[in-house]
Amino acid sequence: MARPSHPEAMTPHRPGSTRTAPPQVPDDFWTRRRMLTYLLFDATGLPYMLVGLVALRVAFALGRGPEAWASLMEQFSHPIYVALHLLALVSVLFVGVRFFRLFPKAQPAKLGPAKPPPAPVIVIGLYGAWIGLTLALLVVLGGIWP
Amino acid sequence: MKPLLLRLEPVIWLLFGAGIMVGTMLLPAWLLTVGLGGPLGLLPEGALSYDRAHAIASNPIGRLVLLGIIALPLWKGAHHLRALFADWLGHGPDGLVGSLLYAVAVVGSVLGIYAVLTL
Repeated sequence: MARPSHPEAMTPHRPGSTRTAPPQVPDDFWTRRRMLTYLLFDATGLPYMLVGLVALRVAFALGRGPEAWASLMEQFSHPIYVALHLLALVSVLFVGVRFFRLFPKAQPAKLGPAKPPPAPVIVIGLYGAWIGLTLALLVVLGGIWP
Repeated sequence: MKPLLLRLEPVIWLLFGAGIMVGTMLLPAWLLTVGLGGPLGLLPEGALSYDRAHAIASNPIGRLVLLGIIALPLWKGAHHLRALFADWLGHGPDGLVGSLLYAVAVVGSVLGIYAVLTL
Protein backbone atom coordinates (compact mmCIF):
# COMPACT_ATOMS: atom_id res chain seq x y z
CA MET A 1 0.00 0.00 0.00
CA ALA A 2 1.18 3.44 -0.85
CA ARG A 3 0.88 6.30 1.64
CA PRO A 4 0.45 10.00 1.02
CA SER A 5 3.64 12.02 0.63
CA HIS A 6 4.12 15.49 2.10
CA PRO A 7 0.63 16.96 2.61
CA GLU A 8 1.48 20.18 0.79
CA ALA A 9 3.46 18.60 -2.03
CA MET A 10 2.15 19.67 -5.44
CA THR A 11 -0.49 21.96 -3.93
CA PRO A 12 -1.09 24.90 -6.27
CA HIS A 13 -0.75 28.43 -4.86
CA ARG A 14 -4.36 29.18 -5.74
CA PRO A 15 -6.94 26.40 -5.84
CA GLY A 16 -7.72 25.67 -9.47
CA SER A 17 -10.82 24.24 -11.04
CA THR A 18 -9.07 20.95 -11.80
CA ARG A 19 -9.13 18.36 -9.04
CA THR A 20 -5.79 16.58 -8.56
CA ALA A 21 -5.11 13.42 -6.59
CA PRO A 22 -2.57 13.90 -3.76
CA PRO A 23 0.82 12.37 -4.63
CA GLN A 24 1.57 8.96 -3.11
CA VAL A 25 4.82 7.41 -1.91
CA PRO A 26 5.19 3.81 -3.08
CA ASP A 27 5.99 1.32 -0.29
CA ASP A 28 9.17 0.15 -1.97
CA PHE A 29 10.41 3.73 -2.42
CA TRP A 30 13.61 2.99 -0.54
CA THR A 31 14.62 0.22 -2.93
CA ARG A 32 14.95 2.64 -5.87
CA ARG A 33 18.64 3.27 -6.51
CA ARG A 34 18.54 7.09 -6.50
CA MET A 35 16.34 7.15 -3.42
CA LEU A 36 18.64 4.68 -1.67
CA THR A 37 21.68 6.92 -2.26
CA TYR A 38 19.67 9.89 -1.00
CA LEU A 39 18.60 8.02 2.15
CA LEU A 40 22.18 6.87 2.76
CA PHE A 41 23.32 10.48 2.43
CA ASP A 42 20.80 11.49 5.12
CA ALA A 43 21.70 8.48 7.28
CA THR A 44 25.29 9.75 7.54
CA GLY A 45 23.73 12.18 10.04
CA LEU A 46 24.03 9.47 12.71
CA PRO A 47 27.84 9.02 12.51
CA TYR A 48 28.21 12.82 12.30
CA MET A 49 26.21 13.33 15.50
CA LEU A 50 28.12 10.56 17.29
CA VAL A 51 31.46 12.05 16.20
CA GLY A 52 30.35 15.47 17.50
CA LEU A 53 29.43 13.97 20.89
CA VAL A 54 32.71 12.02 21.04
CA ALA A 55 34.60 15.25 20.25
CA LEU A 56 32.80 16.82 23.21
CA ARG A 57 34.26 14.06 25.41
CA VAL A 58 37.70 14.84 23.98
CA ALA A 59 37.35 18.53 24.95
CA PHE A 60 36.19 17.66 28.49
CA ALA A 61 39.02 15.13 28.90
CA LEU A 62 41.57 17.79 27.87
CA GLY A 63 40.10 20.12 30.50
CA ARG A 64 40.26 17.48 33.26
CA GLY A 65 43.92 16.57 32.93
CA PRO A 66 46.45 13.94 31.84
CA GLU A 67 44.74 10.96 33.53
CA ALA A 68 41.37 11.66 31.89
CA TRP A 69 43.14 12.12 28.54
CA ALA A 70 45.09 8.84 28.82
CA SER A 71 41.95 6.98 29.85
CA LEU A 72 39.99 8.37 26.87
CA MET A 73 42.76 7.42 24.42
CA GLU A 74 42.71 3.93 25.95
CA GLN A 75 38.93 3.75 25.38
CA PHE A 76 39.38 4.89 21.77
CA SER A 77 41.44 1.78 21.02
CA HIS A 78 38.39 -0.39 21.87
CA PRO A 79 36.98 -2.08 18.73
CA ILE A 80 33.62 -0.29 19.12
CA TYR A 81 35.28 3.14 18.94
CA VAL A 82 37.55 2.01 16.10
CA ALA A 83 34.50 0.76 14.17
CA LEU A 84 32.61 4.02 14.83
CA HIS A 85 35.54 6.13 13.65
CA LEU A 86 36.02 3.98 10.53
CA LEU A 87 32.29 4.23 9.73
CA ALA A 88 32.44 7.98 10.30
CA LEU A 89 35.45 8.30 8.00
CA VAL A 90 33.63 6.46 5.20
CA SER A 91 30.52 8.62 5.83
CA VAL A 92 32.49 11.87 5.70
CA LEU A 93 34.21 10.90 2.45
CA PHE A 94 30.84 9.89 0.93
CA VAL A 95 29.23 13.17 2.02
CA GLY A 96 32.19 15.20 0.74
CA VAL A 97 32.31 13.57 -2.69
CA ARG A 98 28.53 13.81 -3.20
CA PHE A 99 28.04 17.25 -1.66
CA PHE A 100 30.95 18.92 -3.48
CA ARG A 101 29.76 17.43 -6.79
CA LEU A 102 26.24 18.80 -6.25
CA PHE A 103 27.37 22.15 -4.76
CA PRO A 104 27.66 24.07 -8.10
CA LYS A 105 24.07 23.09 -8.96
CA ALA A 106 22.81 24.67 -5.72
CA GLN A 107 24.27 28.10 -6.49
CA PRO A 108 21.94 31.03 -7.23
CA ALA A 109 21.96 32.00 -10.90
CA LYS A 110 22.93 35.55 -9.92
CA LEU A 111 23.94 37.19 -6.67
CA GLY A 112 23.43 40.91 -7.26
CA PRO A 113 25.50 41.77 -10.32
CA ALA A 114 27.85 38.80 -9.81
CA LYS A 115 27.49 35.38 -11.37
CA PRO A 116 28.92 32.29 -9.66
CA PRO A 117 32.12 30.94 -11.27
CA PRO A 118 31.80 27.96 -13.67
CA ALA A 119 31.07 24.61 -12.03
CA PRO A 120 34.54 23.06 -12.57
CA VAL A 121 36.16 26.09 -10.86
CA ILE A 122 33.87 25.70 -7.81
CA VAL A 123 34.53 21.95 -7.59
CA ILE A 124 38.31 22.39 -7.92
CA GLY A 125 38.20 25.13 -5.26
CA LEU A 126 36.22 22.92 -2.86
CA TYR A 127 38.55 19.94 -3.34
CA GLY A 128 41.57 22.23 -2.98
CA ALA A 129 40.27 23.57 0.34
CA TRP A 130 39.31 20.06 1.51
CA ILE A 131 42.69 18.50 0.72
CA GLY A 132 44.60 21.56 1.95
CA LEU A 133 42.78 21.71 5.30
CA THR A 134 43.11 17.95 5.77
CA LEU A 135 46.88 18.05 5.13
CA ALA A 136 47.33 21.06 7.43
CA LEU A 137 45.42 19.37 10.26
CA LEU A 138 47.29 16.09 9.68
CA VAL A 139 50.60 17.94 10.00
CA VAL A 140 49.53 19.56 13.30
CA LEU A 141 47.68 16.63 14.89
CA GLY A 142 50.05 14.04 13.46
CA GLY A 143 52.98 15.47 15.40
CA ILE A 144 54.99 16.80 12.42
CA TRP A 145 54.67 20.54 13.17
CA PRO A 146 55.05 22.54 15.43
CA MET B 1 6.57 22.83 17.85
CA LYS B 2 6.30 22.81 14.08
CA PRO B 3 5.57 26.57 13.70
CA LEU B 4 8.58 27.37 15.91
CA LEU B 5 10.82 25.08 13.86
CA LEU B 6 9.61 26.81 10.70
CA ARG B 7 10.41 30.23 12.16
CA LEU B 8 13.86 29.03 13.23
CA GLU B 9 14.48 27.41 9.84
CA PRO B 10 16.96 30.13 8.63
CA VAL B 11 19.15 29.66 11.73
CA ILE B 12 18.89 25.87 11.60
CA TRP B 13 19.68 25.86 7.90
CA LEU B 14 22.72 28.11 8.43
CA LEU B 15 24.13 25.79 11.13
CA PHE B 16 23.29 22.72 9.03
CA GLY B 17 25.01 24.25 6.00
CA ALA B 18 28.06 25.13 8.08
CA GLY B 19 28.00 21.59 9.46
CA ILE B 20 28.00 19.86 6.12
CA MET B 21 30.62 22.22 4.65
CA VAL B 22 33.05 22.90 7.52
CA GLY B 23 32.39 19.60 9.31
CA THR B 24 33.16 17.56 6.20
CA MET B 25 36.34 19.58 5.60
CA LEU B 26 37.65 19.16 9.17
CA LEU B 27 36.60 15.62 10.03
CA PRO B 28 38.83 13.38 7.83
CA ALA B 29 42.05 14.60 9.50
CA TRP B 30 40.41 14.55 12.96
CA LEU B 31 39.23 10.94 12.51
CA LEU B 32 42.57 9.80 11.04
CA THR B 33 44.56 11.21 13.97
CA VAL B 34 42.53 11.56 17.19
CA GLY B 35 40.00 8.87 16.22
CA LEU B 36 42.24 6.18 14.76
CA GLY B 37 45.95 7.03 14.44
CA GLY B 38 46.61 8.08 18.04
CA PRO B 39 44.72 5.31 19.87
CA LEU B 40 46.07 2.61 17.53
CA GLY B 41 49.67 3.81 17.89
CA LEU B 42 50.10 4.76 14.22
CA LEU B 43 51.35 8.31 14.92
CA PRO B 44 54.89 9.40 15.87
CA GLU B 45 55.71 9.08 19.59
CA GLY B 46 54.18 11.91 21.62
CA ALA B 47 52.13 13.37 18.75
CA LEU B 48 48.98 13.24 20.89
CA SER B 49 50.56 13.32 24.34
CA TYR B 50 48.47 15.27 26.85
CA ASP B 51 50.82 18.26 26.88
CA ARG B 52 50.97 18.56 23.11
CA ALA B 53 47.22 17.96 22.60
CA HIS B 54 46.38 20.50 25.32
CA ALA B 55 48.76 23.08 23.83
CA ILE B 56 47.18 22.69 20.37
CA ALA B 57 43.59 22.79 21.66
CA SER B 58 44.05 25.72 24.06
CA ASN B 59 45.45 27.97 21.33
CA PRO B 60 42.66 30.40 20.21
CA ILE B 61 42.52 28.85 16.73
CA GLY B 62 42.62 25.40 18.32
CA ARG B 63 39.63 26.22 20.54
CA LEU B 64 37.65 27.48 17.55
CA VAL B 65 38.47 24.42 15.42
CA LEU B 66 37.65 22.08 18.31
CA LEU B 67 34.30 23.82 18.83
CA GLY B 68 33.62 23.47 15.10
CA ILE B 69 34.37 19.73 15.28
CA ILE B 70 31.99 19.37 18.25
CA ALA B 71 29.04 21.58 17.30
CA LEU B 72 28.82 21.64 13.49
CA PRO B 73 28.53 17.85 12.91
CA LEU B 74 25.75 17.80 15.54
CA TRP B 75 23.69 20.28 13.46
CA LYS B 76 24.45 18.50 10.20
CA GLY B 77 23.44 15.19 11.77
CA ALA B 78 20.30 16.50 13.47
CA HIS B 79 18.94 18.07 10.30
CA HIS B 80 19.73 15.07 8.10
CA LEU B 81 18.30 12.55 10.58
CA ARG B 82 15.13 14.66 10.78
CA ALA B 83 14.81 14.43 6.99
CA LEU B 84 15.44 10.67 7.17
CA PHE B 85 12.70 10.24 9.79
CA ALA B 86 10.31 12.34 7.69
CA ASP B 87 10.94 10.01 4.73
CA TRP B 88 10.28 6.88 6.78
CA LEU B 89 7.55 7.97 9.19
CA GLY B 90 5.82 10.68 7.20
CA HIS B 91 5.38 14.25 8.41
CA GLY B 92 3.12 13.49 11.37
CA PRO B 93 5.80 13.15 14.10
CA ASP B 94 8.16 15.63 12.36
CA GLY B 95 7.67 18.41 14.93
CA LEU B 96 8.53 16.10 17.83
CA VAL B 97 11.41 14.30 16.07
CA GLY B 98 12.90 17.59 14.86
CA SER B 99 12.64 19.19 18.29
CA LEU B 100 14.37 16.25 19.99
CA LEU B 101 17.19 16.12 17.46
CA TYR B 102 17.78 19.89 17.56
CA ALA B 103 17.67 19.77 21.37
CA VAL B 104 20.64 17.37 21.29
CA ALA B 105 22.44 19.77 18.94
CA VAL B 106 21.69 22.82 21.13
CA VAL B 107 22.79 21.10 24.36
CA GLY B 108 25.89 19.67 22.66
CA SER B 109 26.82 23.09 21.25
CA VAL B 110 26.39 24.86 24.60
CA LEU B 111 28.42 22.17 26.39
CA GLY B 112 31.00 22.45 23.60
CA ILE B 113 31.35 26.21 24.14
CA TYR B 114 31.76 25.60 27.88
CA ALA B 115 34.28 22.80 27.28
CA VAL B 116 36.54 24.77 24.91
CA LEU B 117 36.43 27.87 27.15
CA THR B 118 37.49 25.89 30.25
CA LEU B 119 40.27 23.83 28.65
